Amino acid sequence: MRALVVEDEAEVADDLARALQAAGFVVDIAADGDDAWFKGNTEDYDVAILDLGLPRLDGLSVLRRWRDDNRQFPVIIVSARNDWTEKVAGIEAGADDYLGKPFEIVELIARVRGLVRRAGGLASSSIRFGELVLDTHRMSATYAGRPIRLSQLEFRFLHYVAHQGGRAVSAGELAEHLYGAAEAGDTNAIEALVVRLRRKIAPEVIETRRGFGYLLAGDSR
Amino acid sequence: MKSRSLRVRLLFGAAVAIFLALAAAWFVMTLLFERHIERRVHADLVRDGMQLAADVSTGADGTPLLRREPGDARFAEPASGLYWQVTTARGSVRSRSLWDQSLPVAQLTSTRDWNTRFIAGPFEEQLLLVERVVKPDRDGPEVLLQVGTENKSLHEARREFGTELALFMLLLWAILAAAAWSQVALGLRPLARVRDEVDSLKRSPRERMAAAPAQEVEPLVRAINELADAREKDLTRARRRAADLAHALKTPLAAIAAQSRRAREAGAVDAADGLDRAIQSASAAVDRELARSRAAAIRGAPGSAAALPVVEAVVGVVERAEFVAQVVFEVNVPADLTVPVAAEDLLELLGALIENAARYAKRRVRIDGAISGGSRVLRVEDDGPGIDPGQMAGAFTRGARLDESGGGHGFGLAIAQDLAEATGAQIALARSELGGLEVSIIWKPSLTPT
Repeated sequence: MRALVVEDEAEVADDLARALQAAGFVVDIAADGDDAWFKGNTEDYDVAILDLGLPRLDGLSVLRRWRDDNRQFPVIIVSARNDWTEKVAGIEAGADDYLGKPFEIVELIARVRGLVRRAGGLASSSIRFGELVLDTHRMSATYAGRPIRLSQLEFRFLHYVAHQGGRAVSAGELAEHLYGAAEAGDTNAIEALVVRLRRKIAPEVIETRRGFGYLLAGDSR
Repeated sequence: MKSRSLRVRLLFGAAVAIFLALAAAWFVMTLLFERHIERRVHADLVRDGMQLAADVSTGADGTPLLRREPGDARFAEPASGLYWQVTTARGSVRSRSLWDQSLPVAQLTSTRDWNTRFIAGPFEEQLLLVERVVKPDRDGPEVLLQVGTENKSLHEARREFGTELALFMLLLWAILAAAAWSQVALGLRPLARVRDEVDSLKRSPRERMAAAPAQEVEPLVRAINELADAREKDLTRARRRAADLAHALKTPLAAIAAQSRRAREAGAVDAADGLDRAIQSASAAVDRELARSRAAAIRGAPGSAAALPVVEAVVGVVERAEFVAQVVFEVNVPADLTVPVAAEDLLELLGALIENAARYAKRRVRIDGAISGGSRVLRVEDDGPGIDPGQMAGAFTRGARLDESGGGHGFGLAIAQDLAEATGAQIALARSELGGLEVSIIWKPSLTPT
């Protein structure tokens, strides 16, 4: 596993590197925006930890350049600027998560592991159901060509239903899959999730079969 | 003592100026009236004198003879105030009104004009006297013709006229002073408006004065607005510096956190614990200052934002976090709902609330928006443990930690309350039907965008 730490404050960069190494990562450090952009473009990383306030080229510009060059490794922004405006700008520029400074290193490592697991844990690169295309690598989707950002829960829901070969899946089964066996009876959250997904993607994307459950509309390819 | 009131000074000045002008007018008008009366009386006396001249002759012994006396009945009434006298070197004849008195004779040379003078006359009267020397016969002696009238009635007429005019002038002074009062009040009204608007400037540094109500006040309004601009720039600069300072402190804090971890790894657990506590309280102080400076910047700022895109932007960030891996966000905000806050400020407000809710939720976070009774309401609910009703009142205490394990609803709520109040909203806590906390932000009708 390779991680790129982009941080101009040497003390913080060393600390991040040590913690990531302890978690099993091989770590490269970039201390300015130019170096970060070059390393991200030429090396294959499993994750990048990106500071925003960088010398020479700011972190958001680095991130946009990576994404423009189709570098799709997960990126977690770690920034002293903890405003929501900055967070939204970071996520919209293509970041996968955002953590404000100062942070608990344990939380950072947990988030990095989560990102790596989600990005690497699924073998297939994409699943298509009618107009809906699930990108299992980035945990995102497009519908009729329109990109849709999904939460982990939403993605896991769609991913599970997509793999049922056209079978309607009951709310109880979905609750059990998403929340664990003890939660199979709690189907309110599943119903809310279906409403949310229909609103986010399209009303017709999830069909309800009365008495049976939910399935994705269209043919799988 | 000199009055500090512009109104009193202007009124006093106007009253004195009007009074002086009217007094001068009274004096001149009385004088003109007196001279007019005198001219009229003088003309009457000259007419009587001319009649005497036409009827006078001299006898062989040089005494004056009068063929016919002037017809005015007052010449026949003793001490009537109207007298004539015709005098030569040999004797004189006079009106019956002179009775046993006579008019003083002056040495005069023959002239073509009537001479006029005031004299002390008979019966202790002041007389206006016209006199002329004529020669009725070419070879006869010179004859002095005198006609006089007492001056008292002239003085009385003048006094009566002066008194009546003075009363009228006083009335005029009162009317003009009242008009001046109205004029001053009208003239100062734009200044009253300026004062009211300056009050609103005090409430919010973003307020500016509207166009000047009068051309003369325009430079003042412009100067005040320029001052307000300068003040707002200073405030913005100070807030930006505070925010920059707060942000600048966070990276060193992260570096100290790194040192703390190394100390812990090296076995200095007590020292590391102390450092961690210091870092935690410094971070909380920095976050508080950032929230406070943002709330101060928002206060009174005009703005309007569609709620739904902001809610979705916040949810889009929050749902990336690992701790919400099992949380579904239900967003029921109408697309056309706007609230009276700038979008970036609404982002901070909802960010604090939605992240707070997501941190505590088990499965569900619900965000509703509605217009209720003219008020615009945004509601954030979760199905987490919620807040005990007894603790709700204290939930807004800055930095209150109601749950030590999760960062506390309290801190997020305190920030949200600061921001909500800065936007003129009310914030209310209740138990959600989902089981957890329900936070409502309510903008009353007067603040909602049109």
